[in-house]
Amino acid sequence: MPSVCFYFEVHQPYRVRPYDVFQIGRDHQYLDEKLNAEVMQKVARKCYLPANQLMLDLIDRYEGRFKVAYSLTGVGLEQMHSYAPEVIESFQRLVATGCVELLAETYHHSLASIYDLAEFREQVAIHGRLMRSLFGVKPTVFRNTELVYNDDIAREVAKLGYLGMLAEGADDVLAGRSPNFVYRSAGGELGLLLKNYRLSDDVAFRFSNGAWPEWPLTADKFARWIHGTGGDADTINLMMDYETFGEHQWQETGIFAFLEHLPGALLEHPDWSIKTPSETLEAYAPVETLPYPRTTSWADVARDLSAWNGNEMQARAIERVTTLGDRIKRRKDSAMLALWRKLTTSDHFYYMSTKWFGDGDVHAYFSPYESPYEAFINYMNALTDLEKQVDKPLPVTSARGVPTNATIASSRTPASAPVPTPGSSVVVPKVVDPRAATSKDGSVRSA
Amino acid sequence: MTESQRYEVLMLGWEYPPHISGGLGTACEGLTTALAPLGVGIDFVVPHLYGQEHAPHMRLNSPDQSLRELDPLAWGSNYADGATASDRLMVSPDGVASLRSALQETLLYETRADGGDENRATQQGDNRRVRAVEHTRIQALLSPYLRPEDYSYLLKALEEGNDAVLHELLGPTAMLFEPDSASSPVDARERAAQIARGDAPGSSPHYGDNLFGEVMRYAERVAVWARHKRPQVVHAHDWMTFPAATRVAELHGIPMIAHVHSLEQDRSGDGANETIVGLEGAGLRAADRVIAVSHYTARMINQQHGIPFERIDVVHNGAYARKTVSAYRSESADDRPMVLFLGRVTYQKGPDYFVEAAAKVLQVVPEASFVMAGNGDMLPRLKDRVRELGIESSFSFPGFVRGADVERLFSTADVYVMPSVSEPFGISALEAMSYETPVVLSRQSGASEILHHALKVDFWDVNKLAGQIVAILRYPELRSSIVDMAREEVRRVHWEAAAAKVKQAYERALKGD
Repeated sequence: MPSVCFYFEVHQPYRVRPYDVFQIGRDHQYLDEKLNAEVMQKVARKCYLPANQLMLDLIDRYEGRFKVAYSLTGVGLEQMHSYAPEVIESFQRLVATGCVELLAETYHHSLASIYDLAEFREQVAIHGRLMRSLFGVKPTVFRNTELVYNDDIAREVAKLGYLGMLAEGADDVLAGRSPNFVYRSAGGELGLLLKNYRLSDDVAFRFSNGAWPEWPLTADKFARWIHGTGGDADTINLMMDYETFGEHQWQETGIFAFLEHLPGALLEHPDWSIKTPSETLEAYAPVETLPYPRTTSWADVARDLSAWNGNEMQARAIERVTTLGDRIKRRKDSAMLALWRKLTTSDHFYYMSTKWFGDGDVHAYFSPYESPYEAFINYMNALTDLEKQVDKPLPVTSARGVPTNATIASSRTPASAPVPTPGSSVVVPKVVDPRAATSKDGSVRSA
Repeated sequence: MTESQRYEVLMLGWEYPPHISGGLGTACEGLTTALAPLGVGIDFVVPHLYGQEHAPHMRLNSPDQSLRELDPLAWGSNYADGATASDRLMVSPDGVASLRSALQETLLYETRADGGDENRATQQGDNRRVRAVEHTRIQALLSPYLRPEDYSYLLKALEEGNDAVLHELLGPTAMLFEPDSASSPVDARERAAQIARGDAPGSSPHYGDNLFGEVMRYAERVAVWARHKRPQVVHAHDWMTFPAATRVAELHGIPMIAHVHSLEQDRSGDGANETIVGLEGAGLRAADRVIAVSHYTARMINQQHGIPFERIDVVHNGAYARKTVSAYRSESADDRPMVLFLGRVTYQKGPDYFVEAAAKVLQVVPEASFVMAGNGDMLPRLKDRVRELGIESSFSFPGFVRGADVERLFSTADVYVMPSVSEPFGISALEAMSYETPVVLSRQSGASEILHHALKVDFWDVNKLAGQIVAILRYPELRSSIVDMAREEVRRVHWEAAAAKVKQAYERALKGD
């Protein structure tokens, strides 16, 4: 009996504000507080709040037969806490229904799995603590940043104790096999859920494209396509950004109506059900071992890392920020460490991508910068300042040109995360990352 | 500029995309695409067409195909009006025989090509078929736009008949070529001149089994094909097409334009092939006007072939700037990073913002040097300002520059800055980009509207301007990313300017300037 598995990624990066070379050594505030607040509030209004409400309604309506999975990044949750705390409450209500599974990932939505395995383990651990404190759950299935996957990462994730992992169902890797089954990772330790990218992208990218022959896409039609795979499928894994609903695809496109009708259309067929990732892994035995000969991701046509490391600027920026890690850690300055980690978020490198820049495509849509070159300059300037701070003799001076209200400052310390009583809807600001607890250095304020 | 003037041009090339071995085909595509909208009707002739070419902006021809269309059955016999093929084609009877065999070989090759890869099998059975295959291979592969080392390597292998090298370069089906007596270095120059004049011994061009044979075969075929055309100008791209252009120019009594994308000496250095140098020189001397892709190339044309500068027009085409750039860069010993302003030193061009930004850049990159090239009413004031800021040791003011000096500056600059207060377009930004120099330009320029791969700044934002300059100087990755991406962009835009200059060259040639 086949099933459908819904998985949504919820993430917002800390964008770096315009920061020129003359600010280096003088100004240690890198993050664009105003822009980050605006984006979070806009996305909360257009997507997170209405979509969460709809999910709650659907869970109610189908009495446990409709289920979804999310991964919520730490940097996204921090910004929700700062700028739109009601979003966290609504996620807490969703988790409390028992029909919502949360997945593990890196707290900072970074590429550490590729460039710095020790840091990767730490970021996963911090995220795990946040999931426990904020939602009272311990995820068992892992999803890596941008669905980045290779056999080595899978081995690492297995060592961390996870049972399964999500990956892109890339054609060249599958080599004729179907993405609609559970596979086993190369080392044999993990169950793999592969994104059915055709069906996923029909919703995420093509839904509102009037030039697409299948437009308009209705829930009934989409459910028919899914039911049509019956007999040759255990699980149809639909994976996409949560912002698809209302942000990438605006409300006017009918995306919410589509979402509202989809569970009913799917469940109408008596053979089909909806499962979370861990339920899916439990329900179906892996059909075979699936080695990945290359690193895959869910981005672009290439489904590789080239959107993040494809040009020389990106390679340089990644190298510079990665090498800084050890020096930062030796310094034992938790605020500085937390700030550095925000700069490891993959979005910073995505903004520097020159693939198709000038064609007005998806890369440009997501970037707050005028060009990939501006993104690079800004980032490198900020990073240079951080490097200089790291090289300064200890101890670091405190509170440099920042607000003095200690309560506000500490509640908005970037590495802090709100911790509610599990199951309740009350958000109690509290520091989660113990290393970030002590600093009042305003230079790392996120909010 | 007479934009409304229409011209009919017979243009001779050696290759056309997608079947190209170097940059020449791409350059021809770029140039003709930009010329057509200016009212230039183009008949473009290449030795061979493959069927995948797409050139809706002009008529793309190969003399082989056209010859067959002309009169495939009467080939070699008398025509209905009693004329002989020799009369009709205006070549000697020997020439007819050679053309005939060339055509048959081409047809045979095409038949064989349709029949699959049986080249080896036919080697002993029908030697001529094998040779036909060879000819076509040479046409397709022997281009001066191979990398210079490959080129001289291949050429040497051809002359020596070195099967192993040919095998390596051309693949497993490559055959041994017979060396051509014409390419013996002793009389190569004289021979080339004869060939170019069309009065080689035996009163018939020699058809050898090598590149020169192909060049002469092409000349002969084009001359035949062009009899029914009425072009006003014949425009030839590089030495391979010069003999053909010379013939056509004589046939119709029209001006010849010789377009030099690169010289044999540039490509092969000391290993330059004498025959090619000879053909090149003969073509250049026969041409009414010469187009050089850079001032650098113009200088070389003048030095090597004695063509006076007044007969040479420099038309930068963007695609070939690299050679020029590396030539200047290797000449330049200065490794201080150089920031360039080039233009009139007047209010409109924003030179004062350049000076103010320079002072800020020097705070961060003290070894930077600044060149303000140009004259204008603001120059004395700005020189004072530079002294006032105490940065005169980092500044130079070469005044108005032209020609090769412009090229040198663009080539050796690390950043080109165009801080114009107001600028309808700003072609110099494109020019700098075509020398692979990254550009910072003001948003108040027309160029900033169409260019993506440049840094942009409001002219008054001196801080940001300085910051962008510093970033380019500091981060080679930024520079190379911009340059990589700008290459295609600028090429497209630049061809429009190049086409206008080429049209002016036609005008001059027709006026007999």
